[in-house]
Amino acid sequence: MSKLYTFLKYFFITFWTVFVVAPFLWAVSTSFKDFQSVNSKVTYIPWLDFEPTLEGWRVLIKSPAKGGVDIVEPYFNSIFVTCTASLISIVLGTLAAYALSRFTFKAGFVRNNDITFFFISQRIMPPIVLSIPFFIFLSTIGLLDSLLGLVVVYIVLLMPIAVWIMVDFFNRVPKELDETALIDGCNPYQAFYKVVLPNSIPGLIVAGMFCIIFGWIDFFFAFILTFTEVQLLPVKVVALNSSITPWWSLSASALVSVAPLIIVAFIVERYLSKGNLSGALK
Amino acid sequence: MKTIKTCVTALISALLVFSPVAYADKWSDQFPHIKATGDIPGDCSYESMSKKNYKGKTLKINTHAVPVMGEPTALHAEQFAKLTGAKVDVTHTPAGDLYAKAMVPFQAGQAPYDIVFGFSNFINDWRRYLEPVPKKYVEMKQMKDVTPSHIGVASWDGVMYQFPVDGDRHYLKYRKDVIDNPEYQKQYKEATGKELKVPTTWKEYGEMAAYFNGWDWDGDGEKEYGSAEVMKKDDLMYAAFYSRSAAYSKNPKTPGGFFFDLETMKPLINNPGFVEALTDWVEATKYVPPGGINFGLGDEIGSFGGGQTLFSFSWDDAFVAAMQPDSPINNKVGAAQLPGAMKVWNRKTNSWDEGFNQAPFFVWGWAVGVAKKSKEKEMAFDYLCFFANEANHQADIGIGRFGVNPFRNDDFKVDVWTQIGWDKDIAQSYVDTLAQMEQSKNRVFPLRVPGTFEFNAALATAAAKALAGQLSPQAALDEAAKQWEDILNRVGKDNVRKAYAVGVAMEDNKQ
Amino acid sequence: MNFKHKFVFLFPGLFVLIGILIFPIIFTIRLSLSGWNSYTPEMNFIGITNYIRLFTDDPRFWESFFRLSFLSVTTVILQYVIGFALAMMVWREIKFKRFFRVIFLVPMMTTPVIMTVIWRTFFHESLGPVNDLLGGLGVKPILWLSDPVIAKFTVIIVEVWQWTPFMFLLLLAGLLSLPKEPFLAAAIDGASPFRKFVYVTFPLMAPISIGAIIIRLIEASKIMDTVFVLTSGGPGTATETSSFYIYIKGLREFQMGYAATLSFTYLVIMIISLTIIAKVLTKLMIKE
Repeated sequence: MSKLYTFLKYFFITFWTVFVVAPFLWAVSTSFKDFQSVNSKVTYIPWLDFEPTLEGWRVLIKSPAKGGVDIVEPYFNSIFVTCTASLISIVLGTLAAYALSRFTFKAGFVRNNDITFFFISQRIMPPIVLSIPFFIFLSTIGLLDSLLGLVVVYIVLLMPIAVWIMVDFFNRVPKELDETALIDGCNPYQAFYKVVLPNSIPGLIVAGMFCIIFGWIDFFFAFILTFTEVQLLPVKVVALNSSITPWWSLSASALVSVAPLIIVAFIVERYLSKGNLSGALK
Repeated sequence: MKTIKTCVTALISALLVFSPVAYADKWSDQFPHIKATGDIPGDCSYESMSKKNYKGKTLKINTHAVPVMGEPTALHAEQFAKLTGAKVDVTHTPAGDLYAKAMVPFQAGQAPYDIVFGFSNFINDWRRYLEPVPKKYVEMKQMKDVTPSHIGVASWDGVMYQFPVDGDRHYLKYRKDVIDNPEYQKQYKEATGKELKVPTTWKEYGEMAAYFNGWDWDGDGEKEYGSAEVMKKDDLMYAAFYSRSAAYSKNPKTPGGFFFDLETMKPLINNPGFVEALTDWVEATKYVPPGGINFGLGDEIGSFGGGQTLFSFSWDDAFVAAMQPDSPINNKVGAAQLPGAMKVWNRKTNSWDEGFNQAPFFVWGWAVGVAKKSKEKEMAFDYLCFFANEANHQADIGIGRFGVNPFRNDDFKVDVWTQIGWDKDIAQSYVDTLAQMEQSKNRVFPLRVPGTFEFNAALATAAAKALAGQLSPQAALDEAAKQWEDILNRVGKDNVRKAYAVGVAMEDNKQ
Repeated sequence: MNFKHKFVFLFPGLFVLIGILIFPIIFTIRLSLSGWNSYTPEMNFIGITNYIRLFTDDPRFWESFFRLSFLSVTTVILQYVIGFALAMMVWREIKFKRFFRVIFLVPMMTTPVIMTVIWRTFFHESLGPVNDLLGGLGVKPILWLSDPVIAKFTVIIVEVWQWTPFMFLLLLAGLLSLPKEPFLAAAIDGASPFRKFVYVTFPLMAPISIGAIIIRLIEASKIMDTVFVLTSGGPGTATETSSFYIYIKGLREFQMGYAATLSFTYLVIMIISLTIIAKVLTKLMIKE
C-alpha cells in the first residue's frame, strides 16, 4: 500500500515536472533557431538538428533601427513599477486586512465580509473596461506615459490580492495573541506590528509574491497607458510580434522575462520552510 | 610610432582606392543603407534634409512591430535624427493594436504621437484627427511617381491624408519548381486530364492544391501541402475572403458597388458570388497544412516561405521573404495575378454571366499620417518625405522583412529586382503582375466607411464559422448580411453611403 | 476591542482603492448608456438601447459567457485538485523537496501574452514538437488549435499549466501553517493517511481553499491573452470568451459604449454568481 503510494507519488511528481519544464526546453531550443529551422520541419537539438544562431538573443539588446527591440531600459522600468506598486499594495492591503480580520464593521447592511468582497471584486472587471477610464483619469492628473501613473494603476490591481490573502492568514493567527499583547500594555499598533505581523510571515510572503507576479506579467494597462517615454517589458517584447513572427527572439525574451521571478521563487520557498519552523504559536 | 604611420598610410590609400568604387557620395559612406544607389537628389534627399535644423525638437512616432515596417521606421528615424539634429522617439506596436493605440488618445483629444502608422483602410475613422498632406509635398517630384491607385488609397475625396510609403495588394504566389516541372506536368495530366500551369481560376487553384496536398513533392523528406492562407479569425482574415470573392462578384457590367449596392445600400455579401467563393474556401480547408485553418499572416508567410506549400496568396511579404538569398526556395517561386473565375454574378439580371472574369483586390496596406494636434507637423512631414525618398525607397523594397512594397512606376522595372539577386524571369513575372493590376479596369478597393471594423469583423466571424463547419456558407453569409444591416442602421445608411461612394467612384474608374 | 483604531487600519487602503476606482466605475456606467463608437466619439445619451441590444440581439455574448463558465470552472477544478495533490506531496519530507517546490512555482511567473506564443509553436499542428513526437509513436496529427472541441482543451491545458502554481502556493502555505496538535491526536488514534486527510487536513484547509478557488475563478474568468494568442477565439467562435468578446467590441471595433454595457452586465453577473458560489462552497466544505 505505502509502496504503491510512494511510487504513484514520484510518478506524478515526475510527470508534472516534465509537463512544467517541457515548454521551457522548447523555448530554449527555439531561441537558437532561425527562420528555416522553425518553418521547414520540427527540430529539437542544436547542432544535431539545426545550426544554432544567437540572433534571437542579440535582437533583445539591439536597437530597433537594426531590427532589435532593446529591452534593457524597459526591464528596469518593469522592475521599478512592479516593486514599488507591490510594496505600497502590501502595506495598505495588510493594514486593511488586519482591520477586517480583527474588528467588526457595520454600515447599513455592509459587514466585514462585504467589504472584503468589495476589495476583491475590483479584480472582476475585465481590464479592457478600465483602460479607457484610467486613460482619462491619468491624463487629467497628468500621469499618462509615466512610471508613477503605472504605479497608481497597479496599486488598484494588486491591493485586492494582498487584502484577500492577508485576511485569510490573519484569521488563522489566534486572537488571544493580540489580546495578550494589549494586556501587556501595547497599543493596538504595537500589538499589530510586534506580535501579529511576525506571526504572519508566510502570508506576507505569499501575498508579496502574488503582487509581484501580477504586476510583472500585466500587459494590457502598460500597453494602453504608455506612449514613448516609458515602456514596460511585456509591451516591448510584444512589439516583436510582427507579421513575420520571430519565434526565436520571442522565446529568448520569454526566458529573459521569467528569470528575475525565479529568484523570487527561491526566496519564497526559503521563507516558507522557515515559516513552518517558527510558525504561529505551535 | 612607425606602426601608426603605416596604418594611416594604409587607411588613406584604402580610401583612395575604394571611394571611386562605391558611389562617390558622402551620404552613402555615412549611411550604408543606401550604398547601392547613393543619395538621389530630390526635395527630401539626404542632402536636402541635412540642411534642416531641428535641434532640440522631439518627434514621436508609433509604428508597427519590428521588423515589418517597424525596422525601416526606426532606421530612417535614426538617419533623420543624425541629419537634422532632432530627437526621434519610436514605439512599436503589433498590427492588431495599431488602430486602438492611436484611436484611444485621439478620442480623448490628445496627440501623444506626431506620426501614427496604421492601415490605409483606417482612413475614414482617422482622417478627422489627421492633418492633410500639405500641397508642397503633394506636388513633389517623388509623389508624381506614385501610381494613381495608391494616391487614391491614401486620399479621401481628393484630399491626401496619408503619406504614401508603401504599396499593397493581394496576388498569387506559386512554386515554380513544381508548376513548371515537366515531370509533374505529365503526372498531373495523367491523373486529372488537365494541364498543370499557373492557375487562372480559383477552381484550377483548388484542383492543383488538392492534388499536391499531403505528399513529399520536393524530396526533402517532409510532407508538403496545397495552400497556405490566412484563415485565423483575426484582423486580416476577411481580406483573404474578399480576394477570393472578387472574381465571382465584381462584375464590370454592374458598377455601383461591390460590398453594397450603392443605390439601396443593401449588403451584397450574401449573393451567390460571395457564397460561391466561401464554398471554395471551405473546400480549401482540405488542402491546407494541418492546423492551416488557424494560420494568421505570420504562419502563412512562414509556411509558404519555409517551402511547405504549393500556393499562397496575400500581401507581398511572403513572396519577398521567399526570395531572400538565404531562403530554401529562393528563385523557385513565381507571382501571378489572383485567379479569376469562369462566371461572375450579375446582380442586375440575378443570374451568372458566363465567361472569364478577373478582379484585382487592392486590399490595403501600410499607411501613415500626421496628427492634427501635433506640434511638430513640419518636421513630421519632412520625416515621412525622407522615409520615402528615392534612395531609401529603393533600398527598402529589396529587403523582405521591411515590408515596404512597390507603389511607384519606377518600381515596376525588372532591373530593380535582378540587382538584388532575383532571376530575370521571376522578376519579370513579379513586375508584370503588379503592373497589370495597376492597369486593370475591374479593380476592387477596400471598404473604407464609418464602422469598417464592425463590418469586416462581422464578415470574418461568419466566414470563420463556415470554415469551422459551424454553418453552411449560405447561412454564414446570410448571418453576416443581417449584421451588416444592423450596423448600417446604427451608423446611419446615409453616412455609410456617402463614404462608400468615394471608394465606388475609384472602382468604377470615375476618378 | 471595538474602537476607532480600526478605521486607521482600514481606511488608507479602502480610500485609495475607492479614490482611484470611483471615476472608472461611474464612467463605465455612464458610457454604457451612450453610443460612443469610432464614428461618433461622444458621450451622448441613448438610454438603455445598448442593454436592449445585449438582451435581445446578441447571442454571441451569451454563448461566449457559457463557454467561459465551462472553461473557468473546469480549469479551476483541475488546478485545485492538482495543486492540492502537489502541495500534499511536497509538504512533508521528500527527496529534492525544495527543487520541486521551486519548479512547481515557475509557470505562473511567465507573462501569458509571451508564454502563449511558445505554446502556440508547441502545439503547432505541423511544425510543433507535440504532434511530431506523437507521430513518432504512430499517432495521427491532432488538431490542437483548429478543431472546435480540441481547441477548448488546449486552452484548458495551457491555463492549467500557467495557474496551477497559484493554487499550489496558496495551499502549500496553508499546509505549512497548520497547527500540529490535530495531527498528533490523529496519530495517537492510529488513523490511516486517508482518514487523516478527510477528517483533519481537509477541514483545516477549507477556508483557504474557498479563498483560493474564488480568487482563481475571478482570474480565470478574465482569460484573454491565452485565447487571443492561441486561437483568436477560433476556429469559428469555438474558444471565444466573454472578456475576449468585450475586447473585440471595445478596442477592435471601437464600440466603446456597447463594450461598457457588456462589461457592466458581466460585472453584475459575476458578482452575483461568485457570491452564490462562495456561499455554496462554504456550506459544502465547512461543516459546523
